[in-house]
Amino acid sequence: MNLLEVKDLNKTYGTGETAVQALREVTFSVPKGEFVAVVGESGSGKSTLLNCIGGLDHPTSGTVLLDGENLFTMKEQERTVFRRRNIGFVFQSFQLVSELTVEQNIAFPMLLDYRKPDPGRIDEILQVLGLRGRRHHLPSQLSGGQQQRVAIGRALVMKPMLILADEPTGNLDSKNSQDVMELLVQASRRFQQTILMITHNANLTASCDRVLRVIDGVLTDLGGVRE
Amino acid sequence: MKRYLDLVPISARAHKKQNRMSILCIVFSVLLVTAIFGMADMFLRSQKIQSYKTDGNWHAAFKQITDEDAALIAARPDVEAISWYDVYNYQAEPDCSLGEKPAAICGFDASFLSDIYTGIPLLEGSFPAGGQEAIVTQNAKEAMNLKLGDTITVKMPEGNPLTLTICGFAENTSMMLRFDAYGIFLSTEQYRAIPQIAAKNAGTVPGMYYVQFSPYSNIQKAISDIQLQLGLSDERVGQNFKLLGLMGQSDDPTMLGLYLTAAILVFLVLLAGILMIASSLNSNVAQRIQFFGMLRCIGATPKQVIRLVRAEALSWCRFAIPLGLGIGIAAIWTLCAVLRWLSPYYFADMPVFAVSVPSLLVGAVIGLLTVLLAARAPAKRAARVSPLTAVSGNADSTAPARNAAHTACLKVDTALGIHHAKANRKNLLLMAGSFALSIILFLSFSTLISFMNHALTPLDPTTPDLSVVSPDSTRSISGELLASLQDNPAIERAYGRMFAYDVPITRGELHGTVDLISYEEHQFRWAEQALLEGSVEAAEDEAGTALTVYSPENPLQLGDVVTLECNGTPKDLKIVGVLSDSVFSTGKGLGNVICSEDTFQDLFGPGGYTIIDLQVSQGITESEVETIHTLAGPEIKFSDRRASNAEVTGAYLAFSLFVYGFLTVIALITVFNVVNSLSMSVSARMRQYGAMRAIGMSGRQLIRMVTAEAATYAATGSLAGCLLGLPIHWFLFTKMVTFRWGDPWQIPVVPLCMIIALVAVTAFLAVRGPAKRIRELSIVETISAE
Repeated sequence: MNLLEVKDLNKTYGTGETAVQALREVTFSVPKGEFVAVVGESGSGKSTLLNCIGGLDHPTSGTVLLDGENLFTMKEQERTVFRRRNIGFVFQSFQLVSELTVEQNIAFPMLLDYRKPDPGRIDEILQVLGLRGRRHHLPSQLSGGQQQRVAIGRALVMKPMLILADEPTGNLDSKNSQDVMELLVQASRRFQQTILMITHNANLTASCDRVLRVIDGVLTDLGGVRE
Repeated sequence: MKRYLDLVPISARAHKKQNRMSILCIVFSVLLVTAIFGMADMFLRSQKIQSYKTDGNWHAAFKQITDEDAALIAARPDVEAISWYDVYNYQAEPDCSLGEKPAAICGFDASFLSDIYTGIPLLEGSFPAGGQEAIVTQNAKEAMNLKLGDTITVKMPEGNPLTLTICGFAENTSMMLRFDAYGIFLSTEQYRAIPQIAAKNAGTVPGMYYVQFSPYSNIQKAISDIQLQLGLSDERVGQNFKLLGLMGQSDDPTMLGLYLTAAILVFLVLLAGILMIASSLNSNVAQRIQFFGMLRCIGATPKQVIRLVRAEALSWCRFAIPLGLGIGIAAIWTLCAVLRWLSPYYFADMPVFAVSVPSLLVGAVIGLLTVLLAARAPAKRAARVSPLTAVSGNADSTAPARNAAHTACLKVDTALGIHHAKANRKNLLLMAGSFALSIILFLSFSTLISFMNHALTPLDPTTPDLSVVSPDSTRSISGELLASLQDNPAIERAYGRMFAYDVPITRGELHGTVDLISYEEHQFRWAEQALLEGSVEAAEDEAGTALTVYSPENPLQLGDVVTLECNGTPKDLKIVGVLSDSVFSTGKGLGNVICSEDTFQDLFGPGGYTIIDLQVSQGITESEVETIHTLAGPEIKFSDRRASNAEVTGAYLAFSLFVYGFLTVIALITVFNVVNSLSMSVSARMRQYGAMRAIGMSGRQLIRMVTAEAATYAATGSLAGCLLGLPIHWFLFTKMVTFRWGDPWQIPVVPLCMIIALVAVTAFLAVRGPAKRIRELSIVETISAE
């Protein structure tokens, strides 16, 4: 069964002569537990695709169904709560809350949901991330790789249906990039987590189940790559 | 672009919205300083005009000096005008009279009317040239139908009457009207030649020698020099304290206390302006740290970055300072127009479009200097940005957190809001400082209300405009006169009082006398305001009852039954109420007792009134007043207090307008400051908010976070404002009020609650603007801006 279904997705910025079509009739689906990489040149439209899937941006036309739910028929408040509970984000520039510790940052989506964080769950994530010893550190006291690991932990904490990762290794060196990729793969396997990752680094797609390529807003399914 | 500083206008176009707030801050600061200084300048000007009119434009008055001494004083280079002045029959006794009214005879030099007492203009004719010429006041002209060249005869208490030829008519003085007397003005030589006056002074030079010094000289030093040179004791030297005080030339301890107060208020206003601009620039630069990092990255030196920030700040000044000054001038003009409208009598001389040059200079200089000084710190901060910051993309407008938010006890949005407010100490200091300063300013300026209420007694509702008084203080004014006055359309209210002086009274062992006064309906209503205990209605409605007025010497109490000896017959009177105060001074006896007209007539038999007070309609004409005067008859004393009432009302209105004007400006600045500060704080964190929205924070949660931040600033600012404001309030109150009138200091609960409520409500409402921006926030654009 497909967790994510994207159909005839179009996104155009601007109007008239200055109009830029970022996405053209994009259609694809992702079954539960699959780790999908979206590759493409800079400006090809891959980030726009991710933003539309995550409900951060509105498509010009087309539908995005996550577990059968259409994000764009929801009201803003409803969509926010849906996103909080069902979609985890990992950004290139980490986007951690500088005033919260590692533990608080991971628990942040739960706190936003006014739920008491489950210590066992947090501990498990910290264990997986290798950050148990740093749980009370602030983001400014961590390296880039560690900060990105915290961001992955934050994305995992709500056990979302889908994790969207936008160039998660873009700001990291090769060693840290490798660590982050391993974490994402581990999450995909251990927690049966569906992940959609954007990258322009073809080397990183090796660990993914499937690769999609975006060129000038047109998506092509390159099929499975994982060995 | 020819040089790197040309980036400033280009950058200004790109950051129009961000810069608008900073420009507004400068505009408001300049406006605050200009308006407050301008209002103070206008106040001083109007008070000087008033002082010239009521007390005269003189600085020192020397008495018992010789003509030689006077010549020595007049020869000083720092003396601008001089005049001898003396008055005969100042108390307007009837034995010195012109026609049927008392006359006060004044002798002075021509400069007295032209330079020193400009409040008594010469309406017609010229100053007495010699011989038997005299100027008379306008009321004599109208009552006696006099013309220039007419001859008048002034009856003197002893010796021959004076025969004088009228050479001019002068404006009535409020004192003459109040005493219902005529003024006769002679030259000094003529005055001294009057035999009765020459005999009274027995060879000495009569009167005072008024001196007006140059306003640019050191007047206190000049007076000391003259005193030393002529060997004059302090008793022989008088000073016009009010005028000298207004000129900043007084050494009176009360005035020195007021100067200190003014200095503190000026300092606070300047500090408010500086803090507002500094806070705004700090936020503005903080928002663009990455931009400055980029500049450093492409080769700008720290010095160049500092120059750029400074040039940017100055470019705002080019627009903001003239605008602030312009609005300040408009505010002052509006104020002048309101003043002229409120009291045309009082502020007739105030220019319609007055420009206060000192306030404009102070506003411009403060604006410019503050911007330059305030730009230093953010400029240095911008210059310190490492080029690496820009390259790595790690630049964040907010400094790295030093400690974590407390999410255990509070909801995460509230906890983060509070943490945001506390995160940057400098920012918290500036924000809370701005809030606190508004409170301090409001509290400090509110002391002026207490000062005003003491220094300028507002007109009591009982104050009459005209009074018809029995010349021998008996009940000789008929009730018919009161009835006909009540029917006169030019009279709004007419009410009479019967007086019985020194009425013997006994209560058990107590013996003494009281003054018994009758009240009617209006006066009883006014008396209710001063009721300490008992009932005014009982005294009004029940026969044989009365009120008494509290004084430490008055032994009468509520419930006492006293026996009055009325025309030889003992009659009982029950005290049913005690008033805290009345408009009558306590006479020689135990105190004043007030009863109804019926009770008074039961005690003393039927009879007329001792006094009838009249409150006239607005716009009453002089001929209508004259008709009332004629109606009262020539045998009755007629007192016209309209001029002196107008003086008191004018002074009170003027001061009220300034004080409340100051408070309104401060309140408006507080509102703007709070709104602007929060808006800037939100702008600085907009990117962070975008990320939070992406992670799943709802718009409502974000608004709650901003509200928590605003509440933290408001609470910290209010606390600091109270902690610092109350001691300053105490200090100013003690200097201005306790020192002169002895009132003990109390916590100013009302102004404190008002300003804290204003800060709290404004902080709450100020979240609305940023909330709208947050709701409209595009998450993608915000994150992409990274």
